[in-house]
Amino acid sequence: MNRQDLFELAARNMRNARLRNALTTMGIAVGVASLVAMLSLGIGLQSFANHQLMKSGMFQTVFVSSRQDIRNMDENADAKPEESPALNDDARSRIAALPGVEEVAPEVRATAEVVYGDKTNFTMLAGLPQSARDEDAVEKVNGRFFSSPNASEVLLQRDFAKKLDKNPESVLGKTLTVRYAQRQSGEDTGSFSIERQEKQFVIVGLLDEEPFGGMRMISRARVFLPTQTAESMNLMQPADTQQLVRSTPGARTYTMLTVRMKSAAYAEKVEESVKKMNYAAYSYLDATKSMRRFFAVLDMFLGIFGSLALAVASLAIVNTLVMAVLERRREIGIMKALGASDIDVKKLFFAEAATMGLVGGALGVALGWVIGRAINFGTNIYLHKIMKMPTENLWTVPLWLVAGAIGFSVLVSVLAGIYPAARAAKLDPVQALRYE
Amino acid sequence: MSDESGAVAIEAQGACRYYTMGEASVHAVEDVSFTIARGEFAALLGPSGSGKSTLLNLLAGLDRLSAGRIVVDGRDLSAMDSEALARYRRHTVGMVFQSFNLVPTMTLADNIELPLRFAETPRAERHDRVLELLTNVGLAHRANHKPTELSGGEQQRGAIARALANRPSVLLADEPTGNLDSRNGQEVMSLLRELNEKVGVTVLMVTHDPLLAERYARKSLHMADGRLVSTVEAVR
Repeated sequence: MNRQDLFELAARNMRNARLRNALTTMGIAVGVASLVAMLSLGIGLQSFANHQLMKSGMFQTVFVSSRQDIRNMDENADAKPEESPALNDDARSRIAALPGVEEVAPEVRATAEVVYGDKTNFTMLAGLPQSARDEDAVEKVNGRFFSSPNASEVLLQRDFAKKLDKNPESVLGKTLTVRYAQRQSGEDTGSFSIERQEKQFVIVGLLDEEPFGGMRMISRARVFLPTQTAESMNLMQPADTQQLVRSTPGARTYTMLTVRMKSAAYAEKVEESVKKMNYAAYSYLDATKSMRRFFAVLDMFLGIFGSLALAVASLAIVNTLVMAVLERRREIGIMKALGASDIDVKKLFFAEAATMGLVGGALGVALGWVIGRAINFGTNIYLHKIMKMPTENLWTVPLWLVAGAIGFSVLVSVLAGIYPAARAAKLDPVQALRYE
Repeated sequence: MSDESGAVAIEAQGACRYYTMGEASVHAVEDVSFTIARGEFAALLGPSGSGKSTLLNLLAGLDRLSAGRIVVDGRDLSAMDSEALARYRRHTVGMVFQSFNLVPTMTLADNIELPLRFAETPRAERHDRVLELLTNVGLAHRANHKPTELSGGEQQRGAIARALANRPSVLLADEPTGNLDSRNGQEVMSLLRELNEKVGVTVLMVTHDPLLAERYARKSLHMADGRLVSTVEAVR
């Protein structure tokens, strides 16, 4: 029998037991839906997490600090802090010379008073490296980015701009004044004095979201200026006081340098080199490795739970088809008497199982998608209304998952059809046709 | 069909069929030998349990011999595997049953198309072939009716049309009039005779009615207790 005839007969048989087959098919659909819902949630969460990390530029970044520093992030117990050299300008230029390094910038943060018109606000100031523009670190700049690495320009958090003017867009192009504490070197190397300074900036852009996905210390600042500008202002840093009381005073040192690579591929090498220079280095590569492992395990568990429903549904297929074999005993006998081979009969039942699998799989993917959208919708209402966070797409149904789910459903259904099909094929036509 | 097998349509030599029922061995068909010529109209007679239906199932390729040989249209059934037997049932023999055995969920036309599907007859030819078969048995106007909407006689004529779909050389009929009243029975017998004479199909009919055999068959095989007891050739 050719394929077209096979599926015509299968479709006819399924129409004849419409309710039973529809119920079984719905069972498969629910199974596939749960599988799709579970897996697409896993995939969605993973790509969401990946996207956040990409935004932070962390795959291309190594954070360097001196082991002398209290914020020593290196947990290597063997390394003796006192042997670690100071993280000074010399170290900075040596790191900048390493292959693959694009930019070495300190994290400059300072509290300052911002004067705009008749309003005065006390807030946090931070330097934003030029490279932030090249990656996703700064999303949705309303206005524009800094015109040059040492421009006297600032970007404001939208929330902060609202404090300055009810209509935050209207501050663009206007000037604000920053009052800050400037460090001035003293006569001998160990001491310095602090002076109050003022500097004017043009507001060039508003940020809707925190830069670097909110994952760096500087992300929390409200006013951003180019890192080079910030450095030239000699802003008084919290670490400066630490340095003053240390037993080995010297030239200015950095709390932390952020090393940005041309690509993530250099990160490991650079991290290694920096560690050889006896500084503490930290990148997120290791963290993401365990994250990927976590998601692989999560996907596996979600997949297993999703598959359970499909396993139950496959038992329903076995049941439905065994019932059909019993019910259609005589019909199978007639078909054999008319010249159907055992293989034809077997194929017919496989075709029926596959049809249920295909229809159930397609319905299941649709159902899973709807469930997913509903969960996503609900989550976003929560994020938006209650957490006041931007909406996120936690839900991804890639094409391979759609094809894979339908294919898996057909495969499971055909496997479930093995026993009933074999039973139908070995039915003795003489017995089946005996008068009842 | 082909002429290579000569004038003999069916040949049985020492055909046996034994069943085991628990400890006991039942000899349903015991050492049966006969020949039926091409184009013959033959009857297989005997009381219930004489083994005539078992013999017919053996000839139809639905059951397998325990011993002996059956050759139909030059094909040795005992040498065939199940695939070959299916092909044999599809192309060489047509079966007609006492209880018609039309598939109740299919229309008459769909029932007749069924063996054409198994034979993988091209779709384009099927419609015309079904119509031709229905016209031959006088049921063209009933094509789209379900079996339950047809009379017993119509159902049996439809079943005969279905049995002939793939142009078999032998038609095997198991009590074809057993479930019919005398008028419908007459009609079905006339149709079988007409097909035998016009198309030249060899007919072997199982019946327990000696009058029916006498009236239509030129050759009568009588069975009792699984054995062939006599063969009568009618003189016309």
